[in-house]
Amino acid sequence: MPTITIFKDDLESLLTSDRGAGRGITMAQLEEWLMLVKGELKGHNPETGELRIELQDSNRPDLWSCEGIARQIRIKQEGRLKPYSFFENKPKAPHHLTVKPGMEQVRPYVAACTARGFRVTEKGLAQLIQTQEKLADIFGRKRKTVSIGIYQLPRIAFPITYELVKPDEVRFTPLGMETVMTLSEILMVHPKGLEYGHILAVKSLLPILRDAKNQPLSFPPIINSREIGEVRAGDDELFVEVTGTDLPMVILSLNIFAANLADRGATIEPVEIQYPTSTTLGKRVKTPHDLGKPKTIRIKAIEQALGQELGETVVKQALEAYGYGVSAEKGSVKATVPPYRHDLMHIMDVVEDVAMSRGYAEFTPVMPVQFTVGGLSAIERLSDRSRELMVGLGFQEIISNILGSPDQYSKFMRLDGTEWGRTVEVDNVMSLSFSCLRQWVLPSLLRIEAASSRAFYPHRLFEAGDVAIPDGTHELGSRTETVLGALIAHATTHFSEIHSSLDVLFYYLGKEYSLEPMQHPSFLEGRAGRILVSGKPVGVIGEVHPEVLERWQIAMPVVAFDVNLSQLATLG
Amino acid sequence: MDIFTVIDSLHPLEIKVLTTLGAAPPGTALSSEQLAAAAELEPSQLSMAVEWLLAKSLIAIQTETVTPIVSLTKIGEEYYLTASPLERVLAAAREATGTGTRLTIPDLQAQGGLDPSDVSKAVGRLKKEGALLIIQGGCIETTGRQSPTAEAIRTLLAEMHDSPKELKSFTGVHRQVIEDFAVKRGNAKEPFRVDERVARSFILSTDGASAAKQLLKQGVAEEVSQVTPDLLKDGSWRQKRFRKYTISLRPPRIGTGKKHPYREFLDTVKTKLVSMGFLEMRGALVETEFWDMDALFMPQFHPARDIHDVYFVKEPSHTTAADEPFLSRVAKVHENGAETGSTGWGYSFDVHRAKRLVLRSQGTAVSARTLAASPNIPGKYFSIARCFRYDQVDATHATDFFQVEGIVLGEDINFRTLLGLLNLFAHEVAQAKEVKFVPAYFPFTEPSVELHVRHPHLGWIELGGAGLFRSEVTLPLGVTVPVIAWGLGLDRMAMVALGVHDIRELFTDNLELIRTTRGLF
Repeated sequence: MPTITIFKDDLESLLTSDRGAGRGITMAQLEEWLMLVKGELKGHNPETGELRIELQDSNRPDLWSCEGIARQIRIKQEGRLKPYSFFENKPKAPHHLTVKPGMEQVRPYVAACTARGFRVTEKGLAQLIQTQEKLADIFGRKRKTVSIGIYQLPRIAFPITYELVKPDEVRFTPLGMETVMTLSEILMVHPKGLEYGHILAVKSLLPILRDAKNQPLSFPPIINSREIGEVRAGDDELFVEVTGTDLPMVILSLNIFAANLADRGATIEPVEIQYPTSTTLGKRVKTPHDLGKPKTIRIKAIEQALGQELGETVVKQALEAYGYGVSAEKGSVKATVPPYRHDLMHIMDVVEDVAMSRGYAEFTPVMPVQFTVGGLSAIERLSDRSRELMVGLGFQEIISNILGSPDQYSKFMRLDGTEWGRTVEVDNVMSLSFSCLRQWVLPSLLRIEAASSRAFYPHRLFEAGDVAIPDGTHELGSRTETVLGALIAHATTHFSEIHSSLDVLFYYLGKEYSLEPMQHPSFLEGRAGRILVSGKPVGVIGEVHPEVLERWQIAMPVVAFDVNLSQLATLG
Repeated sequence: MDIFTVIDSLHPLEIKVLTTLGAAPPGTALSSEQLAAAAELEPSQLSMAVEWLLAKSLIAIQTETVTPIVSLTKIGEEYYLTASPLERVLAAAREATGTGTRLTIPDLQAQGGLDPSDVSKAVGRLKKEGALLIIQGGCIETTGRQSPTAEAIRTLLAEMHDSPKELKSFTGVHRQVIEDFAVKRGNAKEPFRVDERVARSFILSTDGASAAKQLLKQGVAEEVSQVTPDLLKDGSWRQKRFRKYTISLRPPRIGTGKKHPYREFLDTVKTKLVSMGFLEMRGALVETEFWDMDALFMPQFHPARDIHDVYFVKEPSHTTAADEPFLSRVAKVHENGAETGSTGWGYSFDVHRAKRLVLRSQGTAVSARTLAASPNIPGKYFSIARCFRYDQVDATHATDFFQVEGIVLGEDINFRTLLGLLNLFAHEVAQAKEVKFVPAYFPFTEPSVELHVRHPHLGWIELGGAGLFRSEVTLPLGVTVPVIAWGLGLDRMAMVALGVHDIRELFTDNLELIRTTRGLF
């Protein structure tokens, strides 16, 4: 989730209000307040006042800016949100933007507004751009569903048109370039064209925003015009537009931008969008637009979820102090989120806001009292018992990564192309070293042996852990099973030494077993056996083949066994 | 030191020497040979015992004489079997003179068996004695005269073969030849060696005399190094003396059977959870996106479901399981909330995507499957599940790691009992007395909370995350009571307990490190 950079003095001035929190916030106070926004302080530079804050809630893009953080804190201090007048859906919008037919096939929705009276500073501009980027990148899924443009208002003549044009029909100088380019040139040459061009599936007709004098504002979602769409420090009249594929998300993004600019002192004027056909909000949509629908929630439901009696008044106060519009009636509250939020899916979302508004510290922990019996799974019990026995037999336990390489698990083991050598492989490989799951444990032990020739001998190693065995008959394509592997390495080790260990292990596990000679590429022929319990194979034992040792660069004889505990559990 | 302490510290060889000396009339000096014979010791045993006793000042040297002894070197023994270079050169020259063949020094040097420098030295000696002549062209001829040196060497070799002699027993020419042909510094290739044999005689010191007296008085118990079954069987240990060991030395290292410290740490956590009434759940390493994410109400467009965050399985790519009725129900909840009271995410759910196989990316997948499998109500469950993330491996990120997490189901579950449970974890798992609950965000819980605790050694740390499962998660899986979902982040605690600073060291391949790490839990 986004991490943003803001400045302490900026935050302080945004917090200053009639009730006046304001200057000289301590870090402890700040961390306390950040709980209201699920923010975590990741860094602080006391000299520049720079703060790095991670915002956890991916459903609250309104909090991904200094203005948003300050707003949530301010509401808590003032007890309620001062409503923004420009969200009222009544007054007529002074400006117009027309959407031409065909846009519904490409990037159907747009929202826009103007902001006057806030003079942009260098720092303020950086904050504006940060908000624009975080919204488009994370909330807007890398501009796919939402992208945002900011312009110098005085250069624009209303009404604006949003339409499709042929790739070579329109040309303008894009941001970051010196020369005039056609839309297709931008797609082929401009860094943003190369980065975001794929969003426009159809390249024969491309979206453009132009004003009444036919000047291009922007080629959404790629790049703005340099003449109109480059905001500089000192500008105090701005035009903001959002285009995208999801109407509520487009409107929400604009709402957030409008609220942020208003908090910095700008006067917001709405723009009326005229669609060729009706949208879910009608044919004419005034933006910014309040999407909020009141949710009626029984006080009892809130109290039950929180485990605490609160009563109507407390719930109402808590929600108002978190920005909601609230009316209480007959054991229920009717709550509406402010227009810069659109994250209520379920009443539990409101419940959490009540808890956060009051502060989690206000709730006394209570122990769950219902009685339950604890215990381990049967396979874990068998695994633990085996581990105890192996330790008693003088073996050192090992713990390994499960994700490894085909070299380790198959090739070094001489299992390439055999049934034993099959593994669950990763499709999107990042590194060959981590590209498949182990299908047995012995390679994990040889990994240690190969790296530990300096550790004094003898080496007795074991690991009990999960493996994934490919199995076409299983619904997941593989079985996850628990396997116990063990090895002995020293100059004079031989088959009967590991056989003795296996014999003792199986005796105490209460499993009757027999060995059947087998040919297994990882072991010396004539010194390898299949371990059978009730006639079913549960593992292998033998002297590790010298060629295997050579491939691992191990210069010490090794004997080993590998027992499938999951299968053993079902037998004998 | 008192005399008994001295006696206790004596090695059996020392006792033999002391008692031998003590048995002779007081003041008698005995030579090494006499001592060895009387005490029945090998020369090497005697010399060890004598050195120890001298070091303890229990005996003193009465006389010391140095006798030069001559013996054959390895080369000398070879000459004895073949012939000395002098004789061989002389024989070759005689043969050449007899047959009229020209023989030069290089010819001789080219013949096998003799070192060029030996040839030069032999020719020089023979020429000096007049037994050889070097004529024009560097040819060698015999004069018919004998070489006294060659004869002396032959006699000496025969005389000293296998029996060294005192140097003073030789006189005249023989003595001179020995000195000329003896090993000296810078010339090791000679047939004779002169060694100095030191002959010493010893007497008891005052302390030694009283120790010997005491030893003779108490009778010598035979000293043995070990208690053996035979000694125990016939009770003869009573007559034995057990030599004392120097026990302050470091012992030899042994390889021991031992649990891995990280597993041991996880075992303690497991035991704690069972003691708190939690049942263990198990799951598969390979999961479907459905159980790993969809069932947890993570929308299919969620950034954490990206190809850069999850490992996808190559073959087969999709499950054959229908996972009904859950799949249809979850799909509807994602789309419009269905009967959960939720609006849903409002997008079109891709059923095929839900069947995609991945490497389990979170332990909550195990909890989701448990919810769908008619869990106990009330019920508490945990799992310690291996999970995989598509991360670059570094000091804080491993490709696969353990997640400790679980669920609690019950009618009495609410936000405050959630906090109560976390309090319990803080006390039991981290021995923390101070806790802080911080609002958090997880896609599948609401409300969500992070548990911060003041760890006795680490200060404030984030111990875990938890929340109440959303109805969008529980209802489609058939669970109608509230459910706590919790997870503990224990890697940092484990690393501190194990004294490692790199998460990769938890899975180290360094056996020496594994053997020597002592977990402090």
